[in-house]
Amino acid sequence: MLSLASLSRRELGERLAGPGLDLGTGGFVTRLSSPIASVADGLHLLYGDYPVHPNGQFADFHVSLMPSPGLRRWYKPQVNFCYDGQPVFRPLPLDHAFPMFEWGLNWCVSAHANNHLIVHAAVLEKDGLAVILPAPPGSGKSTLCATLAHRGWRLLSDELALLRLSDGMVAPLPRPISLKNASIDIMRDYLTVPGQAAPVFSRPVSETSKGTVAHLKAPSAAVARAGELARPAWVIFPKWEAGSEAVLSPLPKARAFTGVASNAFNYSLTAAPGFELLGRIIDQCGCYEFRYSRMDEAVALFARLSSGLAPSAA
Amino acid sequence: MWQVIPGQDLRQWGWDDEYVVYNNLSGDTHLLSGDAMQVLLALRAAPADEATLAASLQEPGTEADISAAVTEILSELDKLSLIEFHEC
Repeated sequence: MLSLASLSRRELGERLAGPGLDLGTGGFVTRLSSPIASVADGLHLLYGDYPVHPNGQFADFHVSLMPSPGLRRWYKPQVNFCYDGQPVFRPLPLDHAFPMFEWGLNWCVSAHANNHLIVHAAVLEKDGLAVILPAPPGSGKSTLCATLAHRGWRLLSDELALLRLSDGMVAPLPRPISLKNASIDIMRDYLTVPGQAAPVFSRPVSETSKGTVAHLKAPSAAVARAGELARPAWVIFPKWEAGSEAVLSPLPKARAFTGVASNAFNYSLTAAPGFELLGRIIDQCGCYEFRYSRMDEAVALFARLSSGLAPSAA
Repeated sequence: MWQVIPGQDLRQWGWDDEYVVYNNLSGDTHLLSGDAMQVLLALRAAPADEATLAASLQEPGTEADISAAVTEILSELDKLSLIEFHEC
């Protein structure tokens, strides 16, 4: 299977503007078309490790990012995210095209992959065991996820925990990690280590609905192991608080259940099977709330957690 | 008499005296205390009026009057459409 890195930037642009690119991410194939240079630039920068499938075979999602027609070609140009040829969101400024691709691809999965319970959560793995980090925006979930994904944990997803209804295993969907505002420079500094490859970020895009956003390239090893499932072992609700020590507090399991359910995209849709699945997962997991402010403390605490030591002693 | 609404499966998970209950008729999930779950399970076993229910749930050897608590729980479970009252 070819990887996207086998295409030059020019070849990638021609493929996107022409027949489309069948891009594999986790268990999904997206047929993507776009003549927009920033989309090709972002893919070229962040998606080199991902498989490119032969055109003409089955694709789960048919996506295009197209400039708005008419006067918008010249006056404040815009981009539309189209699914099966139809726009599904309000258009955004053309400069937001790559973040819109990332957000739109999240939507494709969260709106259609209903053989999973889909939770808005980061999820990482170590030794076959997954930690699920559900949290609303602003909780520091992605910052924590980016940190752990570069400090010994395998990135399964920054945004979507896919819990298979058939067996409760986590299906990986490693993709670039979305960072916002101050987190971008914080993570750029934290992940820059002398003697190691510099972290790769997309060009920051300002004045989006989330502020300034940039995407951090997923570790290559996580992309290469996207077919390896993981068993949920911990459910942890993170909360970044300025000046806080890293504190992991046990969370009553029934509260953890309702917390995960309220962060799930399709909990109601999955009905009784989703209820049973989530109950089994909560039953088998350690459930906690986690407050932190310093990355190294968080890394140390999660290392103790995964080694089976008392996490509160970190 | 109070009874569990016919058709309720009362799927449940419980930990540390808290329970989540799936209302298969509405699709909602409810977080219930251990006491509320006890009332629900008692009504699943057999419909009952308030006094009978309070008597059956009274801890042996205790004097405390739990009828007010049972009334409150019944009202909550009724609001959640898990139980219903019908005249005999």
